[in-house]
Amino acid sequence: MLEFDGLSRRFGPVTALDDLSFSVPSGQVVGFLGPNGAGKTTTMRAVFGLTDLDAGSVRWNGVPIGATQRRRFGYMPEERGLYPNMLVADQLGYLGRLHGMDRHSAAVATKQWLERLDVADRSTSKVETLSHGNQQRVQLAAPLVHDPEMLVLDEPLSGLDPTGIDAIGEVLVEQARAGRCVLFSSHQLDLVEDLCESVAIIDRGRLVARGTVDELATSGARRLAVRVDGDRQGSWAQGIPGVTVSEIDGGEVRLVLDDSTDSDVVLDAARSAGRVTEFVFVRRRLSEVFRETVGQ
Amino acid sequence: MKALPFILAAVAVVLLVRFGLRRIGRGRSSRLGGLPGGLRGRRLLGDTGLVAGREIRERLRGRVFRVVTIILFAVVAAAVVIPTIHTGTTTRQKVGVVAGPPALDSELQKLATAVGLRVELVHEPDLSAARAALSAGYLNMVVDGSGTILVENPISDTDTSAGARYVRAVATALGAQQAFARAGLTPEQAAAVAEAKPWPVESVHPSKGATTTEEATALIGVILIFIILTQYLSWILMGVMEEKASRVIEVLLATVRPGQLLAGKVAGIGAVALLQAVSLVAFALVLAKVVGANLVQGAAPLVVAATLVWLVLGYAFYSWVYAAAGSLAERQDQVQSLVLPLSAPLIFGYIVSLIGVSSGSASLLVKVLAYLPPTAPFAMPTLVGFGEATWWQFLLSVAVSVACTALVALVAARVYRTAVLRTGGRVRLRELVPTLGK
Repeated sequence: MLEFDGLSRRFGPVTALDDLSFSVPSGQVVGFLGPNGAGKTTTMRAVFGLTDLDAGSVRWNGVPIGATQRRRFGYMPEERGLYPNMLVADQLGYLGRLHGMDRHSAAVATKQWLERLDVADRSTSKVETLSHGNQQRVQLAAPLVHDPEMLVLDEPLSGLDPTGIDAIGEVLVEQARAGRCVLFSSHQLDLVEDLCESVAIIDRGRLVARGTVDELATSGARRLAVRVDGDRQGSWAQGIPGVTVSEIDGGEVRLVLDDSTDSDVVLDAARSAGRVTEFVFVRRRLSEVFRETVGQ
Repeated sequence: MKALPFILAAVAVVLLVRFGLRRIGRGRSSRLGGLPGGLRGRRLLGDTGLVAGREIRERLRGRVFRVVTIILFAVVAAAVVIPTIHTGTTTRQKVGVVAGPPALDSELQKLATAVGLRVELVHEPDLSAARAALSAGYLNMVVDGSGTILVENPISDTDTSAGARYVRAVATALGAQQAFARAGLTPEQAAAVAEAKPWPVESVHPSKGATTTEEATALIGVILIFIILTQYLSWILMGVMEEKASRVIEVLLATVRPGQLLAGKVAGIGAVALLQAVSLVAFALVLAKVVGANLVQGAAPLVVAATLVWLVLGYAFYSWVYAAAGSLAERQDQVQSLVLPLSAPLIFGYIVSLIGVSSGSASLLVKVLAYLPPTAPFAMPTLVGFGEATWWQFLLSVAVSVACTALVALVAARVYRTAVLRTGGRVRLRELVPTLGK
């Protein structure tokens, strides 16, 4: 288990991390969410000692993380993280060996991962000659070559086409099923919802939500998804006491009801606006959780 | 067969480097407990060795390295071989003789032997025929017994080729013989005067021992040091900057300590530089032995050794500085602004030493610069070339350089560690000052 305990970090006047604490259990894919500048990258870098902390510690299975533990982790930074002029296979082999593998094992693992991620035919190409998607596949192979106990990935899905997202998502889930601890950040909340068992959401360096996707989806106020013919913008729902429009998506209006509001009142208001084709209690989407927790 | 030891030495160097690379690449196979299959113990040189190995492989594979190496080998070959072609003992010249007494032939042959030249004497019926043969390129020079020497083109005072020296020797000797004859000396008296030797001049202080050969070797050495330092230091600068710009530095530092990464890069690129320099020197020595050049004569090998020593020391001193500077930048244009202040002492030392070597004497400035680590890599080999550095002066300069290098490395490692993970623009040194002490 990866534990963040009271992390604090200031960069001049900017507070990047403010007493941040949460844990990431093994065997799960954990989504790490937050708006830009919330402190996600700083938190991830803290795992690998790439940023100094003003306070707090990062532990792995109860032990403060040091060089020995880091050798068994895999890290993928947000931007590139590969030598542009180096051959793909050489690069992965080299990184594997830096994590303690012998030459033969690193070569075998490199071959396996390149085949697994469908870039084996580019093993003797320079990284800079690869397409963005293929570079990202190689980038993902880099932290996997040495068969790490934990994966920390900063925006691994950004800029990928659906095929690439499926391929990388499949690998992340597979790693978690194999008992690895997988923490990754993303702004693609729908994908996170599909891939992750749980999420941690931070804002201004503080933890604002933590739990399984199910827990977060079912917690909080009741919500309704309503569709009314002839009113795709949900104007009929404006002004109903105790009701807030959460999202409007393709004519479906998602409403948040406070505890005192009767759903029949909402149904009556909808009927008065037109023919009601959908009226159902729904779970919170992750995007709604995100907006509500970070106030956006 | 005299070249055999040099050939064996060159082969030994190549084998040692190959063996070293293999060791770095293979590492030790001891297993660390707790690591999964395939994860093994650290190698002989640990992560530093791995980083150095990557640098060596990537640099040797690069097109720039291959092209520059081929050019350098060609330049060295030219520098060694061309002078021997010019002054070689096997050169044969055709000398036309017009109206000369029989004694002139033997005199001309004797003078040719003295300057290391083989001549073929061609007797011409008259001066006009000889002049025509000279103009046609059939003859190299014409000696007219009436008291004139003809050559095709004027000979400058600075021309030290065997042909030029022969013309001067013939002119001087025949002129003297004519003067002896006018003075009424008998042949025996003339011979005695001709064999006159100047009195030896002894100095109170011991001879400096510097000769043109050592100075020429020092000149080549200084140029070689400058070319190699400039090339490899720029690799360090660019290499560090590129690792920072591509963010690969984050992946590396997630498992390697900054000091190990820096040391590996410096050692790896340095090994390639040394390999290239040693190969060039070995090649030059072997070639010089084969063609009979002056490079292996007198104290020249000592100058060659001093050149290699100062190449290593110069690289060691500057490599840390360039690595630290590279960590401050993350774009090409930012690096460009760092190059000029960094290379200023390098260029200054090079130019002053070059002027010193060319002028034929070591100035006071060169003598002072020989003890300053930034300029000593150029100035000290120059002093050695002039024979103006005693062994203790040489060692003193080495000691100063090593001590300063250690200090520079310490500061550079701190700058590197602090700056290399800072992104978002060029890092200013003054921004780092508060954190360097941590």
